[in-house]
Amino acid sequence: MLKRGKTLMLPAWLSRYIDVRHAVRRRTSLAFPLSLAGLAGLVALFVAIPVVYIFVRAAGADLDDWQRLLQARIWKLLGNTLLLVAAVTGGTLLIGVSMAWLTERTDLPGRKILRWMFAMPLAIPAYIGGIVHLALLRPRGGLLPQMLENLFGQPVLTPSPLGFFGAAFILTLFTFPYVYLLSGAAFRSQHASLEESARMLGYNAWQAVFFVTLPALRPGLLAGALLVALDILGEYGTVALLRYETFSSAIFVQLSGRYDRSAAAVLSGVLVTLAMIILWTELRVQGQARFTQMDSSWRPAPLAALGRWRYLMLIVALGVVFTSLLVPVGVLLAWSVQSFLDPQTLQEVFRTGSRGFGSFAWNSLWTSTLAALVAVTLSLPVALFSVRHSGWISRFIARFCQVGYAIPGVVIALSLVLLVNRAVPILYATPFVVVIAYVLRHMPQAVRASEAALNQLSPALEEAARISGLTAFQAFRHVTLPLILPGLLAGGALVFLTSLKELPATLLLRPAGFDTLAVRVWVWAADGFYVQAAPAALFLVLASALPLFFLLRREQIFK
Amino acid sequence: MTKLSVQHLGKQYTQAALPAVEDVSFELENGEILALVGPSGCGKTTTLRMIAGLERPDAGMICLNGQVVASESRFMPPEQRGVGMVFQDHALFPHLNVFENIAFGLRGRKPAETKQVVGEMLDLVGLASLAKRFPHALSGGERQRVALARALAPRPVLVLMDEPFSSLDTDLRLVMREQVRSLIKVMHATVIFVTHDQEEALYMGDRLAVFQQGRLEQIGTPEQIFQASATRFVAAFMGNSSFLPGEVTLDGIHTEIGLLRQPVDFPVTARVEVAIRADDVDFRSDPQGNSIIVDRIFRGMQNIYHLQLDSGLLLQAFKEHTLVLPIGERVQTVISAGHPLCVFHEVDCV
Repeated sequence: MLKRGKTLMLPAWLSRYIDVRHAVRRRTSLAFPLSLAGLAGLVALFVAIPVVYIFVRAAGADLDDWQRLLQARIWKLLGNTLLLVAAVTGGTLLIGVSMAWLTERTDLPGRKILRWMFAMPLAIPAYIGGIVHLALLRPRGGLLPQMLENLFGQPVLTPSPLGFFGAAFILTLFTFPYVYLLSGAAFRSQHASLEESARMLGYNAWQAVFFVTLPALRPGLLAGALLVALDILGEYGTVALLRYETFSSAIFVQLSGRYDRSAAAVLSGVLVTLAMIILWTELRVQGQARFTQMDSSWRPAPLAALGRWRYLMLIVALGVVFTSLLVPVGVLLAWSVQSFLDPQTLQEVFRTGSRGFGSFAWNSLWTSTLAALVAVTLSLPVALFSVRHSGWISRFIARFCQVGYAIPGVVIALSLVLLVNRAVPILYATPFVVVIAYVLRHMPQAVRASEAALNQLSPALEEAARISGLTAFQAFRHVTLPLILPGLLAGGALVFLTSLKELPATLLLRPAGFDTLAVRVWVWAADGFYVQAAPAALFLVLASALPLFFLLRREQIFK
Repeated sequence: MTKLSVQHLGKQYTQAALPAVEDVSFELENGEILALVGPSGCGKTTTLRMIAGLERPDAGMICLNGQVVASESRFMPPEQRGVGMVFQDHALFPHLNVFENIAFGLRGRKPAETKQVVGEMLDLVGLASLAKRFPHALSGGERQRVALARALAPRPVLVLMDEPFSSLDTDLRLVMREQVRSLIKVMHATVIFVTHDQEEALYMGDRLAVFQQGRLEQIGTPEQIFQASATRFVAAFMGNSSFLPGEVTLDGIHTEIGLLRQPVDFPVTARVEVAIRADDVDFRSDPQGNSIIVDRIFRGMQNIYHLQLDSGLLLQAFKEHTLVLPIGERVQTVISAGHPLCVFHEVDCV
């Protein structure tokens, strides 16, 4: 068998945990080519410099700065940030796991279509979702309160999307698909006999779910939750939009408004430390997690009959789909139509030259594509080294390349602003700095994807090529590369998708006048030009949906 | 005392053309081991899962300890039946250690009592030193023993084992089945054991139930099944028999390799087949003989000769390992059973 189980690939990049069971038994050769180790080391160095630099700057900040921040800001920010991270992680776990259970383990009607509906919000950046919900629910002037007022003749109290609850609500809605995909894959790969043996030992169906199914999936769910936590830690757009101050938004303000780099460095140091702790936990959880029950005797678990709960559960599921997918896409569509009908707005949207729609779209596409290409290329030596020559050095390098997960966009931006200015001023204020930021931030996804692709390939194929007289490089070029290409492409699609959605680093690093779709949507929406921003936002969502569709199609369950 | 009674059990899956289980009836005595054996897809596992309560029968009745647990009108869920089960993949809970896995079915007991019961089970299966280990850190044989201990700990009225040794290496399988059988006997457990391996069934079962295509072909002691096979399928599946055609005469059965003097229930001139195994056949070198040697397989303790009769029929014969004859040599083959052989009506297609 050339390749094993093409299923569950997307979860494998979200978390290496799922991938363990597909791994072909590795043979390690102690002797590794120095050139490969050198290349992998260079990539790790490239990733390391911005992180190390932030710590150097943070440590080098004036004592006064530290004291000032420690006294006033940091504790408040820490409290705010941790509260939001905890709330969103909890919320996504609740929604993600329960929706995954409904579509994978029960006889919920329409679960095949619902699977798509639950995964698709990944194509909607949280801040765009936030913009739509804000426009709908704003206390003054929001569409819903206005409608209710017209209907009842007096103001009706509606929940405000601003502040902590709004931010937690929006971020939960648009990040739960991570947890949904991971736990859906975990539910599917779990053996039916596990639940059955709980039944045989005297537990009823519900008790079996709570005492066996869920606890047995704990490592996988935890890994998903920690990824969400990292995401929220670095989130800028939504919290800024909904006026909830966290580390990320505070750093952004220091950088853009007050331009206090020293204070920004101190805050970044704390934020990155926090993220490192979460990332370290995530990597540890993955290391410990092991499936013991995976083998050829796997058969799908029987679906639980929901009985009279069936339609209530369907309504809950549709509620989630409605708020996280149908409302944002629907509203964007309506606004887009509206903007096309109004000649003046239409002209604003499609102004030619560097300020036109075509130019934003082009900028978005080429920077994201270039970032995807570079990230995948750089990930190759790292993945080859860690998969084919497993040892403590290669493991360390592969782990180190995960560090991008722990550096939020604002921190990467800060680090690059300072570094590029000093080291390579020729790059300063060019779009290439933006691309470098994307590559740094999304390197972990590329590394995980390349590792997953290589893991599915038996080393015997390369060995057979070598025996047939090819050099190591020829064997890679003519055997390995063509076989892992689909996996690499998918990894590239993931980097492309996340780069397209990236906001804070782009905002801070872009040269003057260089707008991407994300930036334009953000700027217009911040000024209240929702209708004008809608076509760009819709295009951004559609451009993200395409690679996402490609990624999901590779999964068994989405076929 | 009858522990389990299965009557006219049937199961039909909607997407399948043939019923998975059809009209299966048997009874099981206290402390007995019954081995369900048959080729894959014969309905043995489905029967087991219906007894467990993991599948719902479409027809028939299952009584456990004199109580109806499944019938047309009644279906008791698995957790209420008090039946233990060892799964093919062991199904150990990956998030619990060995102690917690074994204690899983002892919910509701006092902690001290749980500790004592689990301790006893760990001693019985010889894993007391591994109580804190997690399943992923256990070897195949250790997992197997934990699974057995977990199933036995709540003292179930009946233990079901679904191909429990199939995931183990051959050597380990032989060791484990000895250990498991003696453990079952020490605990006086009543067991139904599913396997597709004839030899394993003969070893484990106090009685055997041979299944084919959803039907129970024969049930009986290992000796009955092996020596007095009720059907041609049982003779073929349980003993690698060859089938030698013959015709019933007044003296016995006239076959290509001589007259088998044995009383039979068939009328004279009936066409029959004699089930014949390698230990029932002998031969000696003879240039005018009735067959030739086409192959010799050296099995260490004995040689197995493949003989082709002049009619083209192939038979096998055991010979001592020191006797080496060349392939192609002509020999005289005779029946040398010394005990009655099983005789069946000739099947048209053969």
